[in-house]
Amino acid sequence: MPNKKKVITRRDFMRASSCVAMGSLMALPLLGKSSAKETVKSRVVLVREKDVLDRTGQIRPEVLRAMLDQALMALFDAPAPVWAWNHLFKPTDVVGIKSNVWHYLPTPKPLEEAIQENLLEVGVQEENMDADDRGILGNPVFKRSTALINTRPLRTHHWSGLGTLLKNYIMFVSWPFKYHGNACEKLGAIWQLPHVKGKTRLNILVMLTPLFHGIGPHHFSPKYTWPYCGLIVSTDPVAADATGARIIQAKRNAFFGEDRPISPPPLHIAAADTRFGLGNSRTEQIHLIKLGWGKDILI
Amino acid sequence: MNMRCSEGFTIHKKILEPFLMIVLIGGFSCMMIQKSYADPLQTLRAALPKQIQGWRAEPDDRVFDDETIFDYIDGAGEVYRAYNMRKCLSRRYTSPKGPPIVLDIFDMQSSEDAFGVFTHDQDGELVDVGQGGLYRSGWLSFWKDRFFVSIYMEEESVAAENAVKGLAKEVASLVSHEGPKPKILSLLPQEGLQPRTTRYLHHSILLNYHFYLADENILNLGPHTKAALADYKYGEENARLLLVQYPAGEEAAKAHMRFLKTYLPEADAKRPVLLENAKWSSAALKGKLLVIVLEADSQGLAENLMKEVISLD
Repeated sequence: MPNKKKVITRRDFMRASSCVAMGSLMALPLLGKSSAKETVKSRVVLVREKDVLDRTGQIRPEVLRAMLDQALMALFDAPAPVWAWNHLFKPTDVVGIKSNVWHYLPTPKPLEEAIQENLLEVGVQEENMDADDRGILGNPVFKRSTALINTRPLRTHHWSGLGTLLKNYIMFVSWPFKYHGNACEKLGAIWQLPHVKGKTRLNILVMLTPLFHGIGPHHFSPKYTWPYCGLIVSTDPVAADATGARIIQAKRNAFFGEDRPISPPPLHIAAADTRFGLGNSRTEQIHLIKLGWGKDILI
Repeated sequence: MNMRCSEGFTIHKKILEPFLMIVLIGGFSCMMIQKSYADPLQTLRAALPKQIQGWRAEPDDRVFDDETIFDYIDGAGEVYRAYNMRKCLSRRYTSPKGPPIVLDIFDMQSSEDAFGVFTHDQDGELVDVGQGGLYRSGWLSFWKDRFFVSIYMEEESVAAENAVKGLAKEVASLVSHEGPKPKILSLLPQEGLQPRTTRYLHHSILLNYHFYLADENILNLGPHTKAALADYKYGEENARLLLVQYPAGEEAAKAHMRFLKTYLPEADAKRPVLLENAKWSSAALKGKLLVIVLEADSQGLAENLMKEVISLD
């Protein structure tokens, strides 16, 4: 007889919090997988250039491309960007670029183009790459993909607290709304599905103009975005998201002039670490490399 | 007397007249049925203003149902579905004077559920529109009868804010009736009830949004249940109360048992339980009503609040 799944209640979180030191995260039981990253720090690159946006807020593609190059070189200690891309992808790879089309803050087209240009340079065939979001389950490139690149802008989100790299994979399931419960805590489970597991080679969290607060059914107001002009790049989506979350929290506190927690709390980031073993969410387990513009970096 | 028709058939008058009468009565009945089932959202749409203070409506409205709403407002659509949204009408107003204004009218099928949606987010300053309105940072929302209305400006300006408020008043005036609030609210004790903390809801996903309870639906909440969540303050002490009304006593009893087994296994019938965060919690049944003090700052407060509810008729 299979074991009945234990219901996780508010009291389990209370118990875990009472056992964990201040600043650490919940220590809930892993779902059959132990973290492979307990002792290895995750490298995360935060690159910023204030000139990536022009006076009208439009992206300068050449600056964005240069930021991506710098980030990849720093992430892999590579002498040139092509070395890093060669390290990640083979010419025979079929690469799905999981993008995000949310109307108010989509993945920038220049970034998608820069990614595709880099893939071409290392020999990936044009017909073996595609950028998509809501159509990925029917997309022929994604269906036969051997590798994924995950990229989207960071923003607050009604159900999960933050729309993160981890959250970006929700379109890999047929019924996304089934993952909305408890602040989308179980998003990490999507990363363990057969058509997703083990394929993600690179994560790029776009921090050009992040959204730090949402209101109303549309959850967007330009008032609550700001020109942070950054990219967060890592092979560890959890570490990248945790870094982004710290920046958003710091921005909220600065803007509102008080401690203003992200609401609902982005539980899925810690859960992706402690319950699904997808990466490191704790600051002490993240090696953060900061490049470029340092003003108002917030972390 | 017989009547000759063009095809050469002869129809007896005694057959024709009753037949015509039946056709007439049937046709009239169909018209009456059609009138009484006229789509309330379409009726409202036809009366909406084409312009407001210099903002003109774009020619094409959009209408979304409970499936396509996600294409429009992404995951937030789940909130409206959880309150039985039937359709959403979206109209955009533009002006050279300022930013676009987006009017969204959600047909929630009942005033109770329109009220429920309104209680989901109660930040902002009160505005006198509809049966309850709020304004914050470029967004005005109100409810009236079966409709929840959201009016949003893509950027803030004084002129746009005035247009938004003018549009809200005009839309509210087009909804001819007011609708009742959920009856379960009358079961909430009034003393100590904190303003703008009452939520009306059906689904566990919404309960968890406001007060995370468990990763499963341990109270068996759903479209058939009506729940009210509210905060209380007595002096320096705080408490949170949840009432859930079930269609039948048996269902309430099952939910009560499951809650105790999963959340308060150490409970006895008489005393609240001390939780790990030093708050107190208890649960009790009253017919079809499940009463849960989710958290109270003291044992005495938990007991008194429970007594208040149980003793209400």
